[in-house]
Amino acid sequence: MKKDKVFRLPRSLVYACSGSLLFILTWAWAVRTENSLGISDFSTGWVLFFVIAFLALFGARKRLSFLPLGSASRWFKIHITGGYMAVFMFWLHTGEVWPSSFYGQLLTLLFYAISISGVIGLLMETVFPSQLTHTKMEVIYERIPKELAEIRNEVEALVEECAKENASSVLAQHYLETLRWYFQRTRFFMSNVCGSEKPQHWVHQQCIILERFLNEKERKYLNKVYLLAEKKRKIDFHYSLQKMLKTWLLIHIPLAGAVMAMVFWHLIVIQVYFV
Amino acid sequence: MEESKFGKDQSQYERPNNPYRCGRAILWQTPCNRGPATDGTCGGTRECTPFLKNDRWECRRDKRFGGPCDEGPRPNGECCIQRPACAPHSSLRIIRGRVTLLVLLAVIALIVGSLGLDSHFNGLVSISDAGPLSKSHIKFTEKQGCNACHQAHGQGIAEWVKAVFRPSNLSGKCVTCHNFGGDSSVAHNNNILTDKEVSKTQCVMCHREHSDASLNIRTLNSKQCNSCHENKFKSFEDGHPEFSKKYPYFTRDSIKYEHGSHLNKHFDNPKFSDKAPKTCVDCHTITLSDREIKPGKYETICANCHNSQIKKKELTIIRLPELLQNRIDSSKLIEACDFPETKIDVEEEFLSVSTEQPALVSAFLLNFSEDDPDSYGKPLQDLIMSMAEESTTSFAELIDNQAPTPISENLLAGLNPEVLKRAACAWGLNREYEPPADPKYGGWYADMLEIRYKPAGHADPVAKSWIEFALAVSTEKGVDVSQSRAVAMREQILSIKDGVGGCIKCHAITEFKDTKGDAYLTVDWNYKNEKKRPYVKYKHDDHVNIMGESSCSSCHVLNKEEGYMASFKEYNSINWVNNFKPIKKKTCMQCHSEDQIDMECQTCHLYHLKPSFKKDMQALKAEPIPITP
Repeated sequence: MKKDKVFRLPRSLVYACSGSLLFILTWAWAVRTENSLGISDFSTGWVLFFVIAFLALFGARKRLSFLPLGSASRWFKIHITGGYMAVFMFWLHTGEVWPSSFYGQLLTLLFYAISISGVIGLLMETVFPSQLTHTKMEVIYERIPKELAEIRNEVEALVEECAKENASSVLAQHYLETLRWYFQRTRFFMSNVCGSEKPQHWVHQQCIILERFLNEKERKYLNKVYLLAEKKRKIDFHYSLQKMLKTWLLIHIPLAGAVMAMVFWHLIVIQVYFV
Repeated sequence: MEESKFGKDQSQYERPNNPYRCGRAILWQTPCNRGPATDGTCGGTRECTPFLKNDRWECRRDKRFGGPCDEGPRPNGECCIQRPACAPHSSLRIIRGRVTLLVLLAVIALIVGSLGLDSHFNGLVSISDAGPLSKSHIKFTEKQGCNACHQAHGQGIAEWVKAVFRPSNLSGKCVTCHNFGGDSSVAHNNNILTDKEVSKTQCVMCHREHSDASLNIRTLNSKQCNSCHENKFKSFEDGHPEFSKKYPYFTRDSIKYEHGSHLNKHFDNPKFSDKAPKTCVDCHTITLSDREIKPGKYETICANCHNSQIKKKELTIIRLPELLQNRIDSSKLIEACDFPETKIDVEEEFLSVSTEQPALVSAFLLNFSEDDPDSYGKPLQDLIMSMAEESTTSFAELIDNQAPTPISENLLAGLNPEVLKRAACAWGLNREYEPPADPKYGGWYADMLEIRYKPAGHADPVAKSWIEFALAVSTEKGVDVSQSRAVAMREQILSIKDGVGGCIKCHAITEFKDTKGDAYLTVDWNYKNEKKRPYVKYKHDDHVNIMGESSCSSCHVLNKEEGYMASFKEYNSINWVNNFKPIKKKTCMQCHSEDQIDMECQTCHLYHLKPSFKKDMQALKAEPIPITP
């Protein structure tokens, strides 16, 4: 039986609208509190605290994958929405972009750093996967050393075979002088991250340059080496982008820890000194 | 995509959560099959762990890595393929955890370290944490530090724990320095609404500290005012009540200055025009002025035209009147006056040297009828005789008898006893007194038949004393005849034309009631300050700076209707007509309206009643700020 299609708003739009609504309600609450001679900093502060605490729970959710806490993608989208909302909530709470106290400046610096790292991470999470798909290859990050080692062995076997069969050391010489460097490990990290075509040109150039010095049989070996070099180039690309996707959390998560520590200290001080 | 590579027979299950990565993989070599052990040691020194089955060691290498090897395990059960151990590295996840822990520790160390660096450290927070104080609080808190406002500061961890559960008394700390005209926890520091219960207020409701040294912590918006006030309105333009009918002229002027006649008549007179002010600010100094603008001093703004008039208006306290009979013992008089060679003409009929009436002052003091020679003959001649004998003493006694405390010292200040005696001696002998010179500079003097006082200038103390004396005795409840003589004396002394110094031409007289309910009159000698309106402010200075010195008439419009001067004939200061028309709200709205100038409540209104500092704070404020080289 064919089901009727039901129109649904995009989930990210629903989250964005919900986040905006929560911010507007908090803002209205703050204005109302201020106008009734209350201290809006407390109301905005508590909302901000709960938003930040919820953002921090995303890390716990990853560790508690066995519990039915909703899908990771849904959590991720809520985390993104909450992150954007936290920035505006932070400005609403502090009332300024850059505070004047040392403690406030430190907390703000950490908050901005985590926010910026989050935005950069989100950009990478959005852009890199589609770029990786375009390589038409799938590589598990942890297996890349093994894949490279296999390619390297394969290339060296081919070069050796070529030298024996043709009694010529041109390809072997070229491998030792140039290609060996390339196959030794992943290369062109930054070029891959930046989307540069430098690795592709380099591989192509290194094979083209040798072609005229080889006979017909050797060229067949060179073509096989070229194909392996191309494959290695794609693995390098995977390595660079996946490395970035994993490494940005190395900044984001410790910063989150620092912000949470500062926030708890802030709560204690406020509770002791002002409430 | 080579999907076959990920098959269970071809592909190893990767475990990114493992805390270590193979050291060979780190060096871009083929990682070993078994991977590092959980304790971080290399697990790939051998290819497999052979299994003893039926007394034979069997190779257990996984199919994914080539299956059992050809050589098989050694006789001692060791794998035949041995490799040197690698150095496994921590996985990214473990590194991330360590970095997070380090950062957390760094933050905690920073917090604890900053406490150690705090110069006021007794407790657990640095003074600079909450942000800079406003300029007004920086100096006053530098000695006490955070303790000036925060009770828990520096009291140790136990106090901190208590403080979490105890409400902080920040407002209570404010009033250790600040003082108000009423309870600081009551709205506007005043029980304005006595019939209603109004919730208590706290300083922190409106004042926020630690924002910035340059921020004004006293700024409020109109919505915050509306949160309490029942009469809520959007802005000054939209909903603010109309000003009161007399606004802003609530009290009668102390000086009768008719702006209309001066501006339209006297200042145009060629006789005075060169002395006349050109604009309002020539008389009213607006620099640094507040809501009320006091006129300049008499010497600055009035003396040019009015000074000469004061000296012309003299006071006569004694006048030798027409006498019907000589009642003075001539021999005694000659003796008292020390006139040994004076010959007395014995005449058949006594002819008085004077044809005048006695002065109203002496008529009141001696209580006689000034138009009945039979009435005043004896008492006046007795007075002359006593003046010849004792000079001012007898006259001073007459004055002092009219007051509960001696006041003659003020009233007769500067009166030369010799002059009085000589005049009395002359009059006793039925002669005119011949003064040695014309009185030019003011003060007491004796004329032919009179003892007169000539005011020296503005604010002459003797003239003022006589006016106050006249007002005092005329309102006392006494015998009817005596009272009418007091009133007659008062009318003469207060007379605009002839009264001493002409003081009352300008100074208003106001009637008040004492605690018993008895009315008494006082002269408004000094400028009377505006009615205290502690919640209203207005800066003339700012307005004139913007609109120009000739802009006063934009708000202060002359009231051309008669009645201003007539208001002073009555001593009632409540009912009066002002020089100017009351100011209406629409006058202010010419500028203070939507899209023009600020209309916030605080533009014109103050919240606190008589805000001030306590004495300790004033002393602190006066301390010089140490200058560090």
